[in-house]
Order: sequence, then structure tokens, then C-alpha cells
Amino acid sequence: MELKIRKSADIYIIDVNGEMDLYNSYKLKELVMKMLEKKIQKFVINMEDVEYIDSSGIGALIYICSTIKKLSLKLLIANVRGSVKKVIELTKLMGYFPITGNVLEAVRKLTD
Amino acid sequence: MEDAKKILQDDNHVLFLKDDMFIKDFPSDYRQIRYFTLMIVQKAPPEIKEINLLEQQISEIIKNAVKHGNRSDPNKKINVWYTFSKEEARIIVEDEGKGFKNIDEWNTFNVERHDCLSKEDYTKLADYVSYRTENSDDNDGGNAMFAAVEYWNEGVVFSKNGNIVAAGKKFPRKHPGIEIS
Repeated sequence: MELKIRKSADIYIIDVNGEMDLYNSYKLKELVMKMLEKKIQKFVINMEDVEYIDSSGIGALIYICSTIKKLSLKLLIANVRGSVKKVIELTKLMGYFPITGNVLEAVRKLTD
Repeated sequence: MEDAKKILQDDNHVLFLKDDMFIKDFPSDYRQIRYFTLMIVQKAPPEIKEINLLEQQISEIIKNAVKHGNRSDPNKKINVWYTFSKEEARIIVEDEGKGFKNIDEWNTFNVERHDCLSKEDYTKLADYVSYRTENSDDNDGGNAMFAAVEYWNEGVVFSKNGNIVAAGKKFPRKHPGIEIS
């Protein structure tokens, strides 16, 4: 799994690429925690290139989502589709996660 | 919304029948869980793989056996029985651990979780998104079995000891044949 950060004004977009599985999902969690230490307040997680997700990946998203909610900061998850969508649907968490269409839409929503 | 699905516990459940199933055993090597899973899933017809959903669901069951059952003890192995057709996937996984003892607690937790979902109470749901025990660690999502009881539509059944789990899924036939008399 590869993680890349892009920036649009004060919004940080994390592009996740590859497999979010039991071996590497913690990397996304660690990255977001480091970004929180740097006082970043607006996040977009782009799932467009995630080919595989398992319960550890879903767990990482839950952890990130609940941490950001507790801090009253902003997060949107973009491009949830294919098998990622199917796994989230099985856990019935589509309504729990702050999911939006694509990155452009997410950036627009997070722009003041 | 329909009632919350339950994890069953019944040694005599039909999903424990092992006739005509393949069998493989694997060491409790956490690093190789996805590799073991691929060795099993390669037997499945592409029609039921649903990109990689079947692989993901089987990987979760194997992970539970290696990590929570055998605690990744290299002296313990897991046995996996499996059979696949275009209409059905079935798997049985046995570990050498003490067994999953919290089935009633898990089922109660899932009813609460289900209640939050049907009321769309996402504030309360935050307490029910992840089932954790004293043995859970940071890499445990705590959500695998919620998905498992939804995915395996023939059921997820544990043995009385809790160290054998069986699961089955029926797939709808996509192109039902038309009988010509």
C-alpha cells in the first residue's frame, strides 16, 4: 500500500493506492495521527486506487473517522467503489462513514 | 430492517458435514495468511469470486483461527476444509486454541449495533462499530464477524468448543437455464 499526500488550500488529500489489509492498514492510521499532531484540520481520504480492503482496513477507517469526529475536525472519504464499497456495505457502515463522490466534490464541500 | 443475524453454535449443524470437501493444513504463520487464503480461493470458479470478496471473507476466518485461536503459536496448525461451485462456497476452519467463548456476548453486541443502525443513531453506533475483547490489539478491526454473518448467507456456525467454525454461502444463478420439453 502506498500513501501520497496532496494539498488544496488548507485541505489535505491522502491518496491510498493498493491493498488496505491486515499487514499495512496501520500505516494510514499512523499517517493521519502524525498529520493531526501537525494541526491539520481538513482531510480527504481518496480510495480510488484501493484494490482490496479487509476488516483491518475498515478498522483503520473507523479509528480515523472517530478520532477526527471527537476533535470536531473535518474528514471526507472519496471514491468508495468496487470491492471496497461491497465490504463497507457488508458491515452496514455506509451511513456511518462520511462518504462523498469524488475528490473534487470532497474539496468543494470542505472549502469554506 | 430485518433482525440482526446471529453467530450459531451447534456441533450437529449441516455446515459441519465434510463429505467431498478438500482439506489443507497450514502453520500458524500470521505473515502468510493471505497466501494461504489464495491457495484455497484458487479452487473457486470466477463467477463466485466477486472481484475479491470471497478471498477477503475467507482470509478473515483464517486470520481469526491463526491469530485469536492459535495465538500465532508456530507449534499449532489450522485445518481448512473447503468446497466451491458456481452456486455455493463452503469452508470449515479448525484451530488448536481454547475456542471462541464470547459468542453470546457477541450476539448481544450485534443486536445493539443493529438497533443503532435501524434507528440511524450514528452517535450511539460509535460505541458499537468495533467488537473488542481483552485480547484485541490495534490491528484488529473488530468488525470482521459483522460482515461475515451478512456475507455467509447459509450461516456462520461454531462448534461447542468454539475452535471450529463453518460458514456457507449460496450464490444466485445468474443465467437460469430454460427447460425445453
